[in-house]
Amino acid sequence: MAETGSISIFLAFVISIYVLIASIYGVKTRKRDFVKSAENGAIGVCFLLIIATIALLHSLVNLDFSLKYVALNTSTDLATTYRFTSLWAGQAGSLLLWSLVLSVYTAIVVLQNRNRDRELMPYVLATLATVSIFFIGLITFIESPFEKLPFTPLEGRGLNPILQNAYMAIHPLTLYFGYVGVTVPFAFGMGALLSGKLGDSWIRYSRKWALFAWTFLSIGLLLGARWAYLELGWGGYWAWDPVENAAFMPWLAATAFIHSVMIQEKKGMLKKWNMSLIIITFFLAIFGTFITRSGIISSVHSFAQSDIGPLFLGFIAFILLFSFGMFLFRVKDLETENRFDSILSRESAFIFNNLLFLGAAFAVFLGTIFPILSEAVTGNKILVGPPYFNRVNVPIALVLIFLMGVGPLISWRKASFKNLVKNFLYPILLGILTVTVLVVMGMTNVVALISFALCAFVTGTVFTEFYRGTSVRMKRGENVFTAFTKLVSRNKRRYGGYIVHIGVVLIVIGVTASSVFVTEKQSTLSPGDTMQLRNYTLRFEGIEQYTTDAKNATLANLTLLENGKVIDTIAPEKNIYKYEGNREINQETEVALRSTYKDDLYIILSSFNGDGSATIRVMINPLVNWIWTGGLILLLGAIVTMWPGARKSREQGFVRYTVRDSDATLNA
Amino acid sequence: MLKGKIKFIVAIVVIALTVSYLVYGGVKDTMVYYLTVEELKAQIPEVYESRVRVSGTVVPGSIIKENNGSLEFQITDGMQTIDVQYEGIIPDIFADDVEAVVEGEYTKNDVFEADTLLAKCPTKYESTDSLYENKEASY
Repeated sequence: MAETGSISIFLAFVISIYVLIASIYGVKTRKRDFVKSAENGAIGVCFLLIIATIALLHSLVNLDFSLKYVALNTSTDLATTYRFTSLWAGQAGSLLLWSLVLSVYTAIVVLQNRNRDRELMPYVLATLATVSIFFIGLITFIESPFEKLPFTPLEGRGLNPILQNAYMAIHPLTLYFGYVGVTVPFAFGMGALLSGKLGDSWIRYSRKWALFAWTFLSIGLLLGARWAYLELGWGGYWAWDPVENAAFMPWLAATAFIHSVMIQEKKGMLKKWNMSLIIITFFLAIFGTFITRSGIISSVHSFAQSDIGPLFLGFIAFILLFSFGMFLFRVKDLETENRFDSILSRESAFIFNNLLFLGAAFAVFLGTIFPILSEAVTGNKILVGPPYFNRVNVPIALVLIFLMGVGPLISWRKASFKNLVKNFLYPILLGILTVTVLVVMGMTNVVALISFALCAFVTGTVFTEFYRGTSVRMKRGENVFTAFTKLVSRNKRRYGGYIVHIGVVLIVIGVTASSVFVTEKQSTLSPGDTMQLRNYTLRFEGIEQYTTDAKNATLANLTLLENGKVIDTIAPEKNIYKYEGNREINQETEVALRSTYKDDLYIILSSFNGDGSATIRVMINPLVNWIWTGGLILLLGAIVTMWPGARKSREQGFVRYTVRDSDATLNA
Repeated sequence: MLKGKIKFIVAIVVIALTVSYLVYGGVKDTMVYYLTVEELKAQIPEVYESRVRVSGTVVPGSIIKENNGSLEFQITDGMQTIDVQYEGIIPDIFADDVEAVVEGEYTKNDVFEADTLLAKCPTKYESTDSLYENKEASY
């Protein structure tokens, strides 16, 4: 199987080079056959990488320890599910997965657009092929997943126990779908620049793919946060760790992009901006992969260290120089078709949204590379930690939430005072009401108050929109349910977007509450002792030990009382994995979590002592569940937005002030 | 028209300046020097009572766990050693010989009072050395 795999990736590499050359040659010389052959080549690459992936999976599942990758990432006692997920546990496998996902996306792009946009598509394909060549090249020549060991070990090194978790199994996959997904809108952008077809086509394709990638990035980030929360045992879900930032930066830039493309679609404005934005987004996605995979910045998540760093840097430099070079070459064709009329308009709300998202991305970028930057400039390694990221990003986030409320309701072009009052009076009152209630209840934290008020304001504006739309339909004689579903299904992009906003509001509420109002306590207890935290009491019943095939577990039995009444029993664990020796981590703290929509009780067994006593650390994290629920709603909204169908009515919905669409006529 | 444009430029400049101010202030107030044990020792006495981050290898046998959950250990760069005192969550991989990263203050009685403790794996993650212990006698 290993030979099949290495031959497949080598062929995929060679064919990718062919795809690049044939598509460019075909479009330059107007030889359609070459372009067609390049398209078939791209589909061939996809098949070859599927074969290579199956070959590696086969070796992983059957524990062929003669392969270095298998020996390093699995062991005989590893459950079959995790043998599959070992595919993305190490460097070479991750890069293979990257290449595979890219080739699948490329094949989809080819199949969806055969015989469409004949001037644009070959360049899009060429761009995708270039990125493929880089990644497939890495696994062919430098980090081959099919590298053989000079001997066959009897046992592999096994998978790190903290990676043996359902969230960890799907979180990297989700993130890769997102990271790689960013490549496609970038390729359309580059295709437009290279071909000079800078009309509507590229932005339409890019928008869809960017939204798709954005959805996966969002979900991947949340899954990663949930994994960290459950598994790392420090009580939080986000630490501004370089690897977390690596995924967060392209997310910020992609969020800016999916908002600003709307302005270009509807008004033909911000063309240069959008082009730069998609280049920056792609740069950040590749940079993120680089941070994650090179181990250049030390991190709790960096499970890989290797020497592919310089190659990545070279590739990043090439991308930046080439894309911005092309951008400057075409800059005169990216003139705007409309002007901004007023600062009080939806257009300007979008502009500010974009500047703030980009500002946040820049701040996170700077904070992430600060150790490297400061060492290069001053010779001292200087770090900026979570306080830096919070100080910079919290104010930006608050203004963004405000804009999230303003954007959907403010008029295009120029908002009148009447329009402002009509749309914003009730949401503003709702915000003020929220603050008043919270202050009366005794909340004094200013940031939390502002955040909750803004969340109420946004919720108010979104409900206003749903209420208005539904009641207009109800006046035509539809019942509430039909009116609502038709409202959403007739304009999926708009109302799907609002649903996403509601998801974001829930996430913001959860993040605010759980970062501002944490209660934490640590006590050493003997059996029978109790500890008190807010209205909860924990009674320590004693230590218990048990043994399974894989581990020796020690657990602390605790009884939970709320206001004096027994409500639950809880048992945080500390596990020693039996399979020692080769694994660096053989001890694992298993957090006990009791989660409700009110708060999470997060309990860690810090240590246990010979005399039967145990040190227990307890945290009460309020409203954490709202974050995960918000994530589900965000996903629902994104699915509504992307749901196919009703295309005609949607496209009729565009009203453009000026039409200067040279491609549309050419390609018709 | 021109008036509108000026308003925009002003707004954009305000945003850019605010973000720069936040970044500048954030860096200035939260930056922490990342030192090796040797660099820390070289900076006595200026380093006393300022917040720094230090990395070093945990000296085997130096770890003392108190019943109340606090921890004492020593880290070294091979030449010099410092005493560390720490209270908080102990990472699962913390043990003798791992590379530890501590953040906190170096006090005048030459004890590093840490409030953050990170531990890194002792070997390179993808090292094949350990496999040699399990190799089959097939050659």
